Amino acid sequence: MFTSKLSRRNFMQQSALWAAAFAAGGTLGLRKAMADRSKELNILCWEGYNSAQVLDPFRKSTGATVKAESLTNDPTMINRLRAGEMNVWDLINVNNPWARKVMWPEKLIKPIERARFEPYFAKMLPAFKPPYRWAMDDSGENMLGIAQRFGPYSFVVNTDKISRASAEDQGWDLWNDNANAGKYGVQESDDWNVFDLCCIAGFDPFKEHTDAEVARYTETAKRVFKNAKVVGDLATMNQLLVSGDIDFYLTGGTYSCSPARADGALNIRGITPNKGPMPGGKGGIAWIEITSVVNNPNVSPLAEHFLEYVQTPDMSHTVAFAEGTFNPVTQMGDPECFKLFTKEELEIIQWDSLEEEMARSAEYDIVPDYPKLLDIMTAAKREVSGG
Amino acid sequence: MAEASAPAIATRQPRFVILRWLKLRPGAAHALPVIAFLLIGFAAPLAWVIMFSFMPERSFSLLNEPTLDNYVTIFSGTTYRSFLWSLGLAAVTVILLALICYPIAYGLTRVFGRWSTLLTLLFTIPLFVSENVRLYGWILFFIKNGVMLGTLKSLFGYEGETWLFTEGMIVLGMVYVYMPFMLFPMTLGVSMVPNETRDAAFDLGASRWQVFKEVDLPLAMPGIVIGFLLSFVLAVGALVEAKVLGGQRVIPIVHEIELAFTYAQNWPLGAALAVLLMLVVGTLVMLVLRRFDLDTILGRR
Repeated sequence: MFTSKLSRRNFMQQSALWAAAFAAGGTLGLRKAMADRSKELNILCWEGYNSAQVLDPFRKSTGATVKAESLTNDPTMINRLRAGEMNVWDLINVNNPWARKVMWPEKLIKPIERARFEPYFAKMLPAFKPPYRWAMDDSGENMLGIAQRFGPYSFVVNTDKISRASAEDQGWDLWNDNANAGKYGVQESDDWNVFDLCCIAGFDPFKEHTDAEVARYTETAKRVFKNAKVVGDLATMNQLLVSGDIDFYLTGGTYSCSPARADGALNIRGITPNKGPMPGGKGGIAWIEITSVVNNPNVSPLAEHFLEYVQTPDMSHTVAFAEGTFNPVTQMGDPECFKLFTKEELEIIQWDSLEEEMARSAEYDIVPDYPKLLDIMTAAKREVSGG
Repeated sequence: MAEASAPAIATRQPRFVILRWLKLRPGAAHALPVIAFLLIGFAAPLAWVIMFSFMPERSFSLLNEPTLDNYVTIFSGTTYRSFLWSLGLAAVTVILLALICYPIAYGLTRVFGRWSTLLTLLFTIPLFVSENVRLYGWILFFIKNGVMLGTLKSLFGYEGETWLFTEGMIVLGMVYVYMPFMLFPMTLGVSMVPNETRDAAFDLGASRWQVFKEVDLPLAMPGIVIGFLLSFVLAVGALVEAKVLGGQRVIPIVHEIELAFTYAQNWPLGAALAVLLMLVVGTLVMLVLRRFDLDTILGRR
């Protein structure tokens, strides 16, 4: 007779048995899947790469079934791989540090053919020339993905209310000035909100923080959320800037304010502070997307082909202006690609100040004590609830 | 002889048992596919969530040693505020809905006559439009220089501040979104009150208040209770109203769950919050159902 008594000890054994059973099932499924992936490609990405403008020509030319799922934060995408979707996805498109510092060490992605892709980097804007740090592993041997969309991402102002020069000079202190209570919004983007709160508190986000810094961060988080008029998505933030309900918001930049600028509201502008607490006195933070090939045991042969496909001048321009938000692309370093951008499009993505803003920005990086800082921020939001 | 018959019994026996079992309990046998479907589609995900709530924080596998840490974290922090906000906002919404919907339900049943169908349709149509779109509509209505303030400004030169991003706006959004879920069961309840009973009460000298209290309300109770339950359970799970119209001035518990599963990537904490929310709501619903037994009020017993 079968008897089962679950204890802490045999819980692990039983769990392992179940896992083995599931794994066996998974293997059977995999064998079936391995038969044919030549006409199939699955992409996990930020919005834009999942648009019909980008995918339809690829579908047409290859006859493949291309599925793309768009998410709006990096950890969620990476944890989808960690949680067992490695054999589902072929490409993953996340911000710069994740490939080199997290996904590669955890073997979630595989290297791409360096000789095949290095020439593309050579044609990019000067800051991305090979070997481009975020596209390589620590040894400098393996290429981990390609760079395309990027942009400075600090905060956004209505220049009719605060001039660009004044906003750049004041920088993060805009949020330390109590006179600004009720005049700003916070665009909900929790990882970026954490970075910005660190900057407002006066220290570099991308390092381990001391107890004194954490205490200052806690006070800053409570104050910033208490004084915020609204916390919401980027569409709401832009709408409130245009209507005059708020004068500025964090977090934001070219990516978030481009839809408003495309609608003609050129007074809505991404700002990079002149100075700040990052190494070298940099005041802003910038993101660069790296698209990598997932370490899928049965990866689609179309994965690297797609990476090449989006490098062409035409498609790079399409990616920059795919539906939703609009962004600069590294391929603008290639005159063939650059000439496709109209004057209006360059205005939308703030091309006039892009280079200097990138120079004043530190690159998005991993925050070592992120879980702790995020929990403090969530608690701060909760504690000022209804206040 | 015995050796020869043994294999025959062995092969026949299982089939025999199944057949006999099927014959004896045809109801249960026919329910098997549904039971299997519910187990896979309903019970299994719930069990998954419950098991995850006992995993160490920020883990993505069920193959860890179980722990109560997530529950300790929740009870030692300020998460109770989010629970209270969710329950409080839902309670206020349900009370307001009851006060608003009863007269409408009464009107639809007894006063508006042939206009009732049209009015019912008008209350139903918004359900076909996404909740997000409807709530963003309210944003455009209340935003500075929007429909309301813009009109007041251009007609009367009045420049007011927006009413958006307050607790009151969240309640407005919730009342607006969940109204049909209170109104329709309530209308059904009110329509179950026989006119003859009300007439008899009036004939026997009852006042309007007495008829309402002694006849209308008790007889309409099935619909009212269902409306209360339906709108309360939905309102406790409301998220978009607080996000869009409330500008996150309030963080309801569902938002906490969402944060745990997304930005925080703390599935076990999110699972523990979800389990607690199910327990709280489940307990409240059970308490109501103990007080008002649906079968009894529906007249089946």
